[in-house]
Amino acid sequence: MSLKGFIIRRTIYIVPVMLGITLMNFTLINVSPGDPVVVRLGLIHCDHDDCYNAAYNGEAIEMGLLDTDYYTVPWFKRYVSFVNDLLHFDLGNSWYYTQAGEGIPIAQIISERAIYTVVLNVLSFFFSLLLATAIGVVSATRQNSFWDRSLTFAMLLGYSMPLFWLAKLLMLLSFQLFNFTGVANKDAFRKPLFLNPTFYKYLILPTLALTLGGLVFMARLVRSQLLEILRQDYITTAKAKGLDNRAVIYKHAFRNGLLPIVTIIGNSLPGLLAGSVMIESVFGWPGLGTVFLEGALFRDYPMMMATNTIFPLLFLVARLLTDITYVFIDPRIKY
Amino acid sequence: MATEEQEQIGEFLLDEKTLREIETMKGAGQWSIVWRRIKKDKMGMLGLYIVIFLILMAFASWILLGFDNWLTKQGALLGDPANPASLNNLYIELWLPGMPADSPLVLFQHPRHHFPELAKLPPSFAHPFGTDGIGHDMVSRIFFGATVSLALGFIGQMTTVIIGTFLGSIAGFYGGFIDEVLQRVIEILYSMPGFILMIFIIVLFEDVNIPGGRYAVVVIFFSLIGWGGTALIVRSNFFSLKQQDFVEAERALGASDMRIIFKHILPNSLAPLIIIVTLGIANTIFLFAALAFFGFGDPNAVSWGDDLNKWQNDLLDYPWMPMFPALFIFFTVLGFNLLGDALRDALDPRLKD
Repeated sequence: MSLKGFIIRRTIYIVPVMLGITLMNFTLINVSPGDPVVVRLGLIHCDHDDCYNAAYNGEAIEMGLLDTDYYTVPWFKRYVSFVNDLLHFDLGNSWYYTQAGEGIPIAQIISERAIYTVVLNVLSFFFSLLLATAIGVVSATRQNSFWDRSLTFAMLLGYSMPLFWLAKLLMLLSFQLFNFTGVANKDAFRKPLFLNPTFYKYLILPTLALTLGGLVFMARLVRSQLLEILRQDYITTAKAKGLDNRAVIYKHAFRNGLLPIVTIIGNSLPGLLAGSVMIESVFGWPGLGTVFLEGALFRDYPMMMATNTIFPLLFLVARLLTDITYVFIDPRIKY
Repeated sequence: MATEEQEQIGEFLLDEKTLREIETMKGAGQWSIVWRRIKKDKMGMLGLYIVIFLILMAFASWILLGFDNWLTKQGALLGDPANPASLNNLYIELWLPGMPADSPLVLFQHPRHHFPELAKLPPSFAHPFGTDGIGHDMVSRIFFGATVSLALGFIGQMTTVIIGTFLGSIAGFYGGFIDEVLQRVIEILYSMPGFILMIFIIVLFEDVNIPGGRYAVVVIFFSLIGWGGTALIVRSNFFSLKQQDFVEAERALGASDMRIIFKHILPNSLAPLIIIVTLGIANTIFLFAALAFFGFGDPNAVSWGDDLNKWQNDLLDYPWMPMFPALFIFFTVLGFNLLGDALRDALDPRLKD
């Protein structure tokens, strides 16, 4: 089968998984106690029951829980219409983010905010990958040296440090040194975004925190993978035929070590996404993570449903890319 | 000491130290070998000491708080058992033989009792970790918070491992349709970032009234969605073990499937399970602390994560208030990670760097 066929097959494979995920979210919302209509209505002021009932029914019809004849809509019909809306990129209106009394469409919020999350994540992913490789190579080639020991120990400390607390400590440190906490404010996000120097200033600390968070566990992986490969016979052969160390490590060891590293990085992406939610929330970075957390704190059901669909989708797409990367790294892989 | 000749020949000769090691391990059981290897690992021992210290602390605080009336009646704590408003409700006091009864040693204040006039005091002799924003003594909060913080990690991880082991064994042993279904379910559960899914669930189910409060809901759902990793590892272990001769022999003797699974294959895949539990507890404690930090814990519970959540914004003005709970979370995670790494190296030396 061709490479194109492989990619198409893997892309189609996302569909049943996404259906399963949406079904799970949908079921969770449906079996949860409490009436979403009551949550939505909140502290509505009514003098007698008729007024409240009218408001309740109106809201329920709008939410699709009742049809126009006041009959309960069965759950599978609601699920089908939910998936149908999803396919048309209609994620409903937010309950919490409102403008002039009307909920802002969630698709609009997400398309506005996604850029912040993407910039933050791509930057820190790139930096942490780069640094992790450097640290891993230094540690593995000088095993049990002073540098290896201290780097491994530092990685272990960082690995045990809760990421959100690492971010807080960075904030404290930066406040003591530069009198700058890095908590984002409106100035940082004035358009045009990429020509705004304040944006870059406020980008530094979140990127640093997220980079450290990713770095600590990637570096461990790179080190152990490289160590395992350096013990293989073909490395001895390469050394025996008189190659210098640099060529042995980068031409022979590192390329073969890439494959398991790519696998584990692909599988750990949900962790990175969760880390991004934490970092965004600590620094008030207005990305998808903050939108999700605030929506959750204020029980914004449509928003939670939307983010809970988008995060797995991002993860599945990332894993698809990982799988495709394999083919290019390892020519032995059959697809 | 290796002679010069031995050094020249290099790795091919065993030096004296290795020979002695082989000598001592002859005839020793698997667990005594593992224990010997852990004892040699300095970092692993440090982790073990941290873990033991924390477990003792959690047990002591649980007994002191949960059985304070009984302990008072036994005379271990001071206070008048007949009078509910006696000192015992404010302080956990320790009576040591030979101490005057009227000036007891006040070890800890009751974690829920606060003194408004003592709020926001920096660390001092009377309050080694300072006091928090409404006058709790931080040492007492940390000491009594250990129960919930550790118990959540233990219970959450143990239930996921038990569910994962059970489902993984069934799928790995029988294969076929059950295995296919299980794999698809794991696929779905794995695509959801755990932290985000947990928040989603907590918000939906925060109104549930079950004994144990909000943390019971958190643990139940955590174990319902977190078993995927364990199940996958146990499943692959079963796939490689079920074709081996000892299973065939047992089957020829007429053993039932359940007996083969639980009596023969499972004990052989115990090593990865122990590693999963130890490293998993660290991750679970971290996850629950993170949930609490972002406001999805139980504000009425006494736990490190919830204290951290309450005082996180005071970091710049009163750094000791959030610093100590965070430090203890850090130490717990560090201890379990160190122990887990040491156990992994000891149980499976092939993985050792």
